[in-house]
Amino acid sequence: MIGRALKSLILHSASLILLLGAWEAVCRAGMVSPHLLPAPSAIFLRLLVQLADPAFLIHLGQTVLRIAVGLALATAIGVGVGLAASRNRLIGRLLEPLVRVLAPIPKIALYPALILMLGFDHASKIALIVADAVFPILLATYHGARMVEPKLIWSARAAGASERQCTFTIVLPAALPSIYTGLRIALLIACVVVFLAEMISSSDGLGHLLIRAARSFRTLDMFVPLLAVSLLGLALNGLATLAGRRLLRGFAL
Amino acid sequence: MIAIEGLSKTFETSGGEPHLALDGISIDIPKGQFLSILGPSGCGKSTLLYIVGGFVPASAGRIRVDGRAIAGPGPDRGPVFQEFALFPWKTVRGNVLYGLLQQGVPRDQAERRVSELLQMVHLSRYADFYPKELSGGMKQRVAIARTLAYDPAILLMDEPFGALDAHTRTKLQNELLSIWERDRKTVLFVTHSVEEAVYLSDRVMVMTPSPGRQKAVFDIDLPRPRIRAELLLNRRYQEYLIAIERLVQDGGEDEA
Repeated sequence: MIGRALKSLILHSASLILLLGAWEAVCRAGMVSPHLLPAPSAIFLRLLVQLADPAFLIHLGQTVLRIAVGLALATAIGVGVGLAASRNRLIGRLLEPLVRVLAPIPKIALYPALILMLGFDHASKIALIVADAVFPILLATYHGARMVEPKLIWSARAAGASERQCTFTIVLPAALPSIYTGLRIALLIACVVVFLAEMISSSDGLGHLLIRAARSFRTLDMFVPLLAVSLLGLALNGLATLAGRRLLRGFAL
Repeated sequence: MIAIEGLSKTFETSGGEPHLALDGISIDIPKGQFLSILGPSGCGKSTLLYIVGGFVPASAGRIRVDGRAIAGPGPDRGPVFQEFALFPWKTVRGNVLYGLLQQGVPRDQAERRVSELLQMVHLSRYADFYPKELSGGMKQRVAIARTLAYDPAILLMDEPFGALDAHTRTKLQNELLSIWERDRKTVLFVTHSVEEAVYLSDRVMVMTPSPGRQKAVFDIDLPRPRIRAELLLNRRYQEYLIAIERLVQDGGEDEA
């Protein structure tokens, strides 16, 4: 049992270890200057040092806060609108062209406008996360809800549930596996977008740390926020897996 | 009583051409009768059931239950599907509880009723299992319990045992019969098995393939409670099987 888990872990991290190993080797061999590309071990050590620094933790916290609030809003809007569009033909018809036109827009291009409207602080960055993360959730909810086996709804209707009650007691839970997939995509998008927004204009957050380090040519400190956001994504992803395992217990996945 | 009058159903196919699935079905089903609807696949027998359930609208004709035209699904008509259609996110208990809670039964009372129902279908030990953890026969037992929970006067069974192995099918047929003997609900039972139809039913309606029309209706005059081992030697039972089998074979070769 333990042997198998270990084997799976090694197999899982093999590609990563290989990449980091090669990177480390290149740096150690002196093939690149540490001022251009620091060794991964150096970045890890620097991150560990930074994690003990309250100032760094505050920056990290700001980023996490924006991701959390942005994702929560995107989920509420995406699931709500997706569900409404899938259950009501008129709403679906009205929204479809809107989604088709808005979804392909690179939302980061809206960021300057968002700053003008919402200021430099949290609001503009959260709005950007919502704008980017809402679409995968909305589309996943819509398609998941449309794919619900009609006989589930019929069974509930015969048992006395109204169409409206079916939306919440049958369609929503039946669409959860699909919604969950959308949410995981949205999670990754949120990590990328918040970082970009903080790089473009911010006085805090991981993205801001990277820009600040770059402006004073502190290469090592440039890589630390990158590593941090990568690990943050990994942790959030792990959290999502745990939540999914509980939430989707009855589904054959 | 269910009164079906001149019922027809036309589907719009993906090619845009209308397809006549059901044509002029008229039959009265007295209260408490076990009626089987027998026909080859594609004869619209399931569609007929869905229309009675109020899940699918008819194109022409009308259906009245106890004198009232049906308008959509209702707890007086409980469906059981071949695919079980259990709620995968709910446990066995949660599935059976659903209808009771929808009907406004207080929680503790509903829980007690669920325990009784699960006992009746021999699934008390599996109350906290999820449907995916059950065998096909167990799933169908849960589905039957879920429907019986809100006590519909009419059961609409759409090839309920079609996806089960022969042994489980026989077992569930017998369980269904003993449940039916107890509360004598009206049952509309769709099947393509002649043997199953004759074994279970008071009456068998044979349908033609595409478009589905009534070909013949047989009254099955066999003693109840029915015991399969005894029926196998029953002359009349054999004659029903042969007569209906011939009727089903006749003209049905081009559809399979």
